[in-house]
Amino acid sequence: MAARTFTLVLVLALLAPSFAEERPRLALIVHPARRAELSVEEVAQIYLRTRRFWEDGAPVVPLNLPSGTPLRGRFSKLVLRQTETRLADYWNRRYFYGVLPPATLASTEAIRRYVASDPNAIGYVPVSEVDGSVRVLLHLE
Amino acid sequence: MTLTAFCVLGAVIAPGTALEERILPERALGGIEYHAGRGLRIGDTGLTVGGFATAEAEWLEAENAEAALEGVNFLLFFDPVPYVHLFAEIEAGGFASWESGGGVDSDPGMEVDRLFADASANDRLNVRFGKFLTPIGRWNLAPAEPLVWTTSEPLIVEHVFDETVSGAMLWGSSFPRGGTASYSLYGTFLDPIAPERQAPPAGHSAGAHLEWASLSGWTVGGSYFASEAHGEGAWNHLGGVDALWQPTARLELSAEALFGEGTREEGALWGLYAQAVIETLPTLYAVGRYERFDPPGEGRAIDLFDVGLAWVPVNYLRLKADYRFADHFDDELATPGFRASLSVLF
Repeated sequence: MAARTFTLVLVLALLAPSFAEERPRLALIVHPARRAELSVEEVAQIYLRTRRFWEDGAPVVPLNLPSGTPLRGRFSKLVLRQTETRLADYWNRRYFYGVLPPATLASTEAIRRYVASDPNAIGYVPVSEVDGSVRVLLHLE
Repeated sequence: MTLTAFCVLGAVIAPGTALEERILPERALGGIEYHAGRGLRIGDTGLTVGGFATAEAEWLEAENAEAALEGVNFLLFFDPVPYVHLFAEIEAGGFASWESGGGVDSDPGMEVDRLFADASANDRLNVRFGKFLTPIGRWNLAPAEPLVWTTSEPLIVEHVFDETVSGAMLWGSSFPRGGTASYSLYGTFLDPIAPERQAPPAGHSAGAHLEWASLSGWTVGGSYFASEAHGEGAWNHLGGVDALWQPTARLELSAEALFGEGTREEGALWGLYAQAVIETLPTLYAVGRYERFDPPGEGRAIDLFDVGLAWVPVNYLRLKADYRFADHFDDELATPGFRASLSVLF
């Protein structure tokens, strides 16, 4: 009986790994000197590169995680509200005008460090990784 | 030197991600990066080189079958500072064409399709100077094969106005109520840069395009275009509306209508198209388009239907096949028949 229960648990664990996936809350972060307030729609415009400048005229530097990473997928769903396929089609058209998607950094730690060093940058990290070097603009859930 | 060349070659042929992860921690936003369909970014120079290539085949009614390696379009963009954007599209074409009953023909050549500089003050105010696509409607703003869903263009895009303008444009966007409102005001102030040999562009022209795009998937636009042929003195006027609706991730509906007088021929004309694209299976799209075009002068109005499939296995590759039907045969406007193309962004 115990062996069958163990087998059942093992099979369920293998078949449904998503149940165990962690879905951390995301924080949208900027440099502490950046006092702007943005709505989710405005953040989406920044990440779609239609809004390219901060209100003070400085260029926005949006930062993304690499394509295919779970956190980026979650960010796209929460903020951009588009599928990866639809976004790829959008960026193909923008590429035709020489407009590229936001730069990617390899990890959330790299994003936090970059945002802490550049007043024009904006990025997202799990809330648990936020420290005093950056300011939280929005919580995304 | 050899090592540098090896690194560049490696960047070109590698998928990119691994290189990016290796370099970025040490040089944030720097390094040589290549992403298929997004070009080769050359370090911190601000220079990116990319492009697309297309091969086409067609089997039209009352004509021989043909196939062609249409050409390679190189996209070069240079962003030396955040407020300046330089862009060029250079087409190397006519590599090879084949016709049944004939042989393989080749007439290679180069053309400057676009060449412009943008200077930005902010999101609301930008100035473009050079040769750029005429901002009328939706299709003409991105008419490249890898970006559209059918192998043939709607007649209102192909036969009515010049594809490009050589001059200047004020453009910008504002963001009321979570959407994006964009404008373009432009005019011809330069002699044509590398004009089309078959259809000389208008001597003078001016126009405006307004667009509203919501984040929920709606985009609507309106266009006005006035033009004067070389030395004729009389101006022609053209108006248009366009719309795009993406209600779900798998469905896209678009439409355009144009009315007035075009640059190519005198006389009133009007036309429209409506197109639907639906993802039937993952990466496989069914496409249908209806269009009607009433040409200037004595020509008879024509109704056209395009039906086809587009397969997009990855974002930088598009294979299309479609058949165009017409209510009557008119080989000057649009010849019915089967067309297919393979295009790749690099």
